[in-house]
Amino acid sequence: MTTEPIIRVDHLAKRFGTFEAVKDVSFTVNRGDVFGFLGPNGAGKSTTIRCLLSLIRPDAGKVELFGKSYANERSAILANIGSIIEKPDFYRYLSAERNLEIFARISGANVGKKDIAEMLDFVGLGDRGKHKVKGFSHGMKQRLGIAQTLLHQPELIILDEPTTGLDPQGIVEIRNLILRLRTEQNKTVVLSSHQLSEIELIANRMVIINKGKTIVEGAVKDLLDANDLQVRIETDDAVAAKSVILSAHPTIEVTQLNGRELEFPVLKDQVHLINQLLVNAGIPVHAIEPKRKLEDYFMNIISSEHVA
Amino acid sequence: MLLKNTWNEFIKILSKPRSYLGVGALTLLIGIIIFAMKADGKSIISFVTASFEQTLTFNGHILNGYLIAFIILQMLIVHVPLLVALVTGDLIAGEAAMGTIRMLATKPISRTNIVLSKFIAGAAYTLFIIIWMGFLALFVSTTIFGTGDVIVLNSDGLVILPEADVLWRFGAGFCVAFLSLLTVSSLSICLSAFAENSIGPIVATMSVIILFTIIGSLDVTVFDTIKPYLFTTHMVSWRSFFEDPVPWSTIRQSVIILVAHNVVLVAIAIVRFNKKDITS
Amino acid sequence: MIKIAQLLLLLALPLLSSAQTVDDILSKVLTKLNSVKDYKVSATIKANIPMIKILPNEATIYFKQKDKFKVESKGITILPKQGFTDINNFLAKKDYIAVINDTVTTGGVKTYLISVIPNSAGGEMILAKLWIDPERSVIMKSQITTKSNGTVTTSYTYGDQVKYGLPSKMVFEIDIKKFKLPKSVASDINKSSAEKKKKIGNKGTITITLTDYQVNKGLSDSLFK
Repeated sequence: MTTEPIIRVDHLAKRFGTFEAVKDVSFTVNRGDVFGFLGPNGAGKSTTIRCLLSLIRPDAGKVELFGKSYANERSAILANIGSIIEKPDFYRYLSAERNLEIFARISGANVGKKDIAEMLDFVGLGDRGKHKVKGFSHGMKQRLGIAQTLLHQPELIILDEPTTGLDPQGIVEIRNLILRLRTEQNKTVVLSSHQLSEIELIANRMVIINKGKTIVEGAVKDLLDANDLQVRIETDDAVAAKSVILSAHPTIEVTQLNGRELEFPVLKDQVHLINQLLVNAGIPVHAIEPKRKLEDYFMNIISSEHVA
Repeated sequence: MLLKNTWNEFIKILSKPRSYLGVGALTLLIGIIIFAMKADGKSIISFVTASFEQTLTFNGHILNGYLIAFIILQMLIVHVPLLVALVTGDLIAGEAAMGTIRMLATKPISRTNIVLSKFIAGAAYTLFIIIWMGFLALFVSTTIFGTGDVIVLNSDGLVILPEADVLWRFGAGFCVAFLSLLTVSSLSICLSAFAENSIGPIVATMSVIILFTIIGSLDVTVFDTIKPYLFTTHMVSWRSFFEDPVPWSTIRQSVIILVAHNVVLVAIAIVRFNKKDITS
Repeated sequence: MIKIAQLLLLLALPLLSSAQTVDDILSKVLTKLNSVKDYKVSATIKANIPMIKILPNEATIYFKQKDKFKVESKGITILPKQGFTDINNFLAKKDYIAVINDTVTTGGVKTYLISVIPNSAGGEMILAKLWIDPERSVIMKSQITTKSNGTVTTSYTYGDQVKYGLPSKMVFEIDIKKFKLPKSVASDINKSSAEKKKKIGNKGTITITLTDYQVNKGLSDSLFK
């Protein structure tokens, strides 16, 4: 895969009044990436994405798309992007076809009625083109939104929380659609979400931001499939189990959660050895629950947000 | 891109029910006025001529289509701004409220062009309203009541304009009336650029018109200095074409002030919309 | 008011001496006017009245005894409310006291200035002053004061139709002090408050030039409906 960067965000900052929505966000998206943009609600995802699309002017930092900046090549950049921000909104009083016509007309590309019909077919709305959007379900609007982003054949597609509010079937449909974009049309897709599982399923690279700052950026595989695990073990006697583990591996930091549960970091290929060690010592293991460190970290952010 | 988006704006205006609300209301109002004139026009006319009729008699076809067209214009020019603002005030703010502004602003069209295309489409709608009003007022009235000389009541007396000298005055009057309604359109588009919903700019536009009109109609010397610069002062300048002699310098001044208002308001809208962070 | 005027006239009556009596003069005028059963005439009407701007207009005027009167015009014309038939009708009733006040030369013609006061106070007329050319038995000038219409002064010029006592030109001088403009629906805010208070005169004139008389050709009543 090529590593030619398509988006480069460098120390982006944006403040609304006294509220610092984005403090310091940096990441790079390469051509052909399905790039996950992950963060809990209020992390600054939407503000960052709006900066990527010139909807919001950053106070500081640099945004470069296709090696160009908005200051002097706004139209050239936007002609190459298709996007849905938050939710796809359409002119409710117009038909799906008419809506696509309207957006296609100002997309900078030459889009004909046939292209519109084909695109509606592609997103599964082929028979609803003449219907007014006000009668559409959220899922249908989302698919129409995808059609709108693809109509002018952009290189880059930016989708802000594209599965929000969808039913499970809708989520699967959108997910499959995004995967097809990558495999069939070789698009670069930036996908924001507050669900790690969603990003993990479709993205190859990702960045996690929290409280307006970049936490970590890299390949999803590297970040999530790491050997480092946090393992929780349930036994009859947590104290005995802890001493058995420490006697064999004195460097492991074992935390006793309660009388039956322990938690400790361990490499993936050592999990079965720990299990064997305990069983051999006559301590029955009722459950082993490996947790990936990043997921754990992310879940902590989410849960702390919920607590807050 | 400007033309393409202007075309889009036309489609949007034509597809919005509220656009027809204004046209419908206008048609109804004019219908009611014509009906009232048919039913009791003579007594309405004598309200104007009463004090003269003690000494003078007015002979001829006074209650004719031209006079009724003039009365319709005079009565409605106060209300048409609301009908115009109803549509134009929604042009930017309505998109913000609906969320489509995000879609629009992420297309390769400059924000200046977005505002300009909305201004052009708003102007076209305003022009349509004026033409429709003119058609109903002139065509329907003259079909029902025939043509004739026009008695016009100005602040300094009655002017009776010969039939042959009337049509060009209507034409010119409609042009200036269009310019004044265009100012209303520009004002509401300008206010629309500051708002996230369409009710705000519509109400604000009407409030500004009402406020300025009140200031303009208060016969207080203090306001005499600012009156010439209020656009509402010039909203009635179409009537000047029905004076004799036509006060060309006054009309020229009105046109200059109205055009200046349009330029300034659209410029403010462009600057504001360009600087606006779209967070809706 | 009328009573006092009548009293003054009665007192003045014995003092007057003239070749013809007032009644003679007036009845000759009336006879001449009554010789016209009907007429049709083309009129050019020019109005010069403060507060009213109107271009000169053409009209056709129809009259039939005793008080049928009609103006036909393509455009709008303005005529004084009284002046065409009022004097005839008033004199025809003979319910007045008339007195010669003076002899006056008006428009180069020697006239008697006759004041005519109605006997009954109920009518519209308060006082009529008539300048009568005794030679031709025509009214050269009239000044009529009525209750509701103020005073209208009319000067008459005669041409071909002098034998019928029909003028070729009439100039009405109208009192416009009572003119009030209703508050305009859309007030004219182009003018500042100072400009609006501009003083206007209180006299206006309407000049009617009458040509192509067709007298006693028999106009049908239906014409006046």
